[in-house]
Amino acid sequence: MASGEAPTWEEVARSHGRFLYTVAYRLTGNHEDAQDLVQEVMLRVQRGLATYRPGSMEGWLSRIATNAFLDDVRRRRRRPVEALPDDPDRTVPAARGADEALAASSLPDDVQAALAGLPPDYRAAVVLCDVVGLPYHEIAEMLDVPVGTVRSRIHRGRALLREVLAP
Amino acid sequence: VTHLGDALSALLDGELTPAEARAAEAHLGACEPCRHELAATSAARSLVRGLPVVDPPFGVFERLRRPAWRRGVAAVTGGAAAAVLLLVLTTPPADPVEPPVRALVERHAASASAGGDPVTELVSVGVPVAPEP
Repeated sequence: MASGEAPTWEEVARSHGRFLYTVAYRLTGNHEDAQDLVQEVMLRVQRGLATYRPGSMEGWLSRIATNAFLDDVRRRRRRPVEALPDDPDRTVPAARGADEALAASSLPDDVQAALAGLPPDYRAAVVLCDVVGLPYHEIAEMLDVPVGTVRSRIHRGRALLREVLAP
Repeated sequence: VTHLGDALSALLDGELTPAEARAAEAHLGACEPCRHELAATSAARSLVRGLPVVDPPFGVFERLRRPAWRRGVAAVTGGAAAAVLLLVLTTPPADPVEPPVRALVERHAASASAGGDPVTELVSVGVPVAPEP
């Protein structure tokens, strides 16, 4: 890829498909929504809607994915019929042992389910920090909030995960 | 005593300045609740960081990638179909034909009664009304 040029569709799919899918799955919490999100990201990549800036390709894709995810969340909120509080996919797994046993006993599916139970804004911050591995200032820029807000969302997100996984 | 709160996450993520980090460490040395919260926060952080990469289900990207010409055709035919549908939906139904029957009848009745002789009325259309002498 020439530096400074937006990557082509094929480059993204071939070299970053797994990364993009992983981020989409961690954000949405299920395969159906993850595929829809990937489709939306690829559409934005293809249309050149998202301005590519030379740098980390994964950071760029994460930004598009997170924005598309949060756009979708806001759209769904405007249609309250679809916001089913009893959605079984959102059910949080059963309680487990103490903090000390947390890391040993939590299966990835349980962690993913707990992640899916976080408020979308917290989830986005936690995924960008702990799945993508971005520094706070980049997350703040992506989400268009102050760094202090990012720090607070990440910490509260982790506290909620802990409560769910090891009450 | 002010506890560290979200500075604990910042500490774990390396987001504190060296001075802030030293102050946080000093506080942790003296504060059992903060030490406990640090351990719990660290465990939650590790769990998310330890989540595996997720393989996309087979064909996810391939399904999105159709030949450009086919997308073009789909866009054109889809556009044409949408235009036709829009035309159908937005064209108002034609007004039903309503001949002014009542007005015609009344006009006819008025002229007929005024003339008093329905037969002479027919002169204008060239019908002989009287026998030739």
